[in-house]
Amino acid sequence: MSDLIKRFLPFVSLIALCALIAALEPKFLSAGNLAGVARQTAVITIIAMGMTMVMVSGGIDLSVGSMMALAGVAGAFAMVSGAPILLGVLVAIAAGAACGLLNGAAVATLRIPAFIVTLGAMGVYRGAALLATDGKAVVGLPSGFGYLAEGSLFGFLPIPLLIVILLAASTHFFLTSTQAGRYCYAIGSNSEAARYAGVRVSRYQILFYVLLGAVTGLAGAIESARLVTGQPTSGEGYELRVIAAVVIGGGSLSGGQGTVPGTIVGALIMGVLANGSNLLGISSFMQQVLIGAVIVLAVTFDEFQRRRLETATS
Amino acid sequence: MHGITKSFAGNTVLTGIDLSVIAGEVHALVGENGAGKSTLMKILAGVHHCDSGQILLDGQAVRFASPADALRQGIAMIYQELSLAPHLSVAENIFLGREPLIVSALGIINKTELNAKTAKLLGEYSFKLDPRARVGALSAADRQLVEITRATLEAKRVIVMDEPTSSLTAHEVEELFRLIRRLKASGLAVIYISHRLEELESIADRLTILRDGRAVYTGEWGEIDRAQIIRHMAGRELKEIFPARNSSLGEPLLLVKDLSRAGKFSDISFTVRSGEVVGIAGLAGAGRTELVEAIFGATPADSGEVHLNGSRVDNVNPDKAVARGLGLLTEDRKRTGLCLNLPLATNLTLANVRQLVRAWWLERKRERAAALEYIDKLHIRPPNPYKTIARMSGGNQQKVLLARWLFAGSRIFLLDEPTRGVDVAARAEIYRLINKLTEEGAAVLMVSSDLPELLGMADRILVLRRGRLVAELNARSTTQEEVLKHATVEETEGPELAMPRGQLHAIPNS
Repeated sequence: MSDLIKRFLPFVSLIALCALIAALEPKFLSAGNLAGVARQTAVITIIAMGMTMVMVSGGIDLSVGSMMALAGVAGAFAMVSGAPILLGVLVAIAAGAACGLLNGAAVATLRIPAFIVTLGAMGVYRGAALLATDGKAVVGLPSGFGYLAEGSLFGFLPIPLLIVILLAASTHFFLTSTQAGRYCYAIGSNSEAARYAGVRVSRYQILFYVLLGAVTGLAGAIESARLVTGQPTSGEGYELRVIAAVVIGGGSLSGGQGTVPGTIVGALIMGVLANGSNLLGISSFMQQVLIGAVIVLAVTFDEFQRRRLETATS
Repeated sequence: MHGITKSFAGNTVLTGIDLSVIAGEVHALVGENGAGKSTLMKILAGVHHCDSGQILLDGQAVRFASPADALRQGIAMIYQELSLAPHLSVAENIFLGREPLIVSALGIINKTELNAKTAKLLGEYSFKLDPRARVGALSAADRQLVEITRATLEAKRVIVMDEPTSSLTAHEVEELFRLIRRLKASGLAVIYISHRLEELESIADRLTILRDGRAVYTGEWGEIDRAQIIRHMAGRELKEIFPARNSSLGEPLLLVKDLSRAGKFSDISFTVRSGEVVGIAGLAGAGRTELVEAIFGATPADSGEVHLNGSRVDNVNPDKAVARGLGLLTEDRKRTGLCLNLPLATNLTLANVRQLVRAWWLERKRERAAALEYIDKLHIRPPNPYKTIARMSGGNQQKVLLARWLFAGSRIFLLDEPTRGVDVAARAEIYRLINKLTEEGAAVLMVSSDLPELLGMADRILVLRRGRLVAELNARSTTQEEVLKHATVEETEGPELAMPRGQLHAIPNS
């Protein structure tokens, strides 16, 4: 019973939120506005797919904002020096995956808490991006590149939304229907129990960080396309929005919980809240207060659930 | 306690229970897992509130709003789930909340006095613990001793011990019993919950049996015999606690040679053959758990060899061990066994997820079928593959963990305290299952602090003392006293340690 509530509470909240905003401001439901919400939340949602895996496995990555900037800059450099667009995007993905490998290897082999490792990495990647670009934006990107952020398939499906849909479907499949996905939940729930069951825990932990890095690189490419430059300062504060999306969607900071649909709803709740506030003329300062309150509410709810589970065990 | 009734989310777990405990007595509370013992005691300790009924303390009706409230009235409880601060020392844990202070207004702790007081207390109880040791670094048994010591400070009227001996060795149980007799003599009422009827024999004055949330029997200890107690608990006859086994010995499946780990155990050699159950006895700290963890590769040995199925395995780790048919049922199922927030089926299949995967796809149908198969075979309750494992009883959790290794196709079972915190009926089922496995050719190495269990189940018993294999006994002809003697003899018997290893294996296999 309470499991059901937990599973559907984020969905119900999102629908209620949309209904409320639509009632106050009918423009909210216009196709143009909804497409706008999708574009604005796409980058966060894409990174949040990877973050869901890492957080379900009991980890966390605070460096994704910096990592996204570094990967975006790397892709931009490649394209400026003549690489075709597709190769540029692949370079960004590879750069992100390399950063993820570093994070994952440090967490899994040095056994340092992920929070600390990635807090350090956050500074390192940001610094590297600024050093590589001398603090200036990388300009002169190919003209067709903007399509990645601004284009639409069949004239109505924004490309970033298409990417989100494809990525969400594959991440959902990965987590629910593969061996690695099963291990992800087991490691996050109790990594020692997983190890004693013969799971190669370190190897899988690294895999999850690499996958997060790769999708963060992809997000970096899309962000560059949106800004039409490679910005070393982009993505600041994204890590917190990404983590918030996972947590609002039912993920737990202590691991073993979280789903792709939940995370998407979490990202949408924040996106809709921001968009709705704009439409209703609520100040951006107030938006920050609202989003902060939602995060605390979601975590409080999660904590209550866990306490119930713990009393049930004794 | 009078007419206590309690239900959780519509499930009635206690129905009109009467329990009266007299100062200066040890009142045993027995019943299977899920019979309501822990819930009843949590109501007494103020953790839960009863729906109806009342608690009378010295004739006065009382109502506890919280555990702190109950403590103020002198009711202390030692929980089955240990509740210590792992980063604090033994002394800090014992005196948590009532530290001796230097300047009380500033709350500065007098550490010297704290440690001295603790050392004195531990000395009185004959618990061999360092007051300065970090609790997190202690074994489960030592943590339990810390917990017990703390509760004795809190208890003024009633002390409730919920399975206090679950991780203690026979020797420590003796120490505990001496302590309990002291508490009793000082006028305290002791409520003692246990699954082990053997140990109640020497401590209990009166007995109450719970079954399905009702008190089905109360009387003086000794009025009814053990078979009748079991019948009351189970509501049916359990004729054979240790059923006979009909297995024939085959090839050696597990061979351990000169295995050593610094400070834990040294030069351990033995074999376990197909169809054989070998028991490992010893006090806590003798290196029993460390030994099985080394064989499994969870904490590797420094030197020595492990051979599985006749071939040597180098750099063994759990992954390799599992692939070669080894399964370890760990002593601490919450820490190293269960993924608590995940479903029964996920926990059951964890060591062999590969079996569920076709191409890239993990097939839910196979998972469900596998879970249902073992739920049926092992009588796991409730029979729901998607039940969150945290919400199942200890006995059923243990069965799921055993099923994990059955599903993984293990041939060599390392069972570390397989029946800890498991009720009588489930224990009998686990014993039957061990017999069935060995009859089908598996090799079982079983660590247990429960001597009757070792004597009843094993073919041979290896005794460890301070990390050394000091005796190998034929379980059919040995006695508890003999095992204990080997496990506890101190340095005065030095020459025995120096005996050539070959002689220790002198007793032939049965």
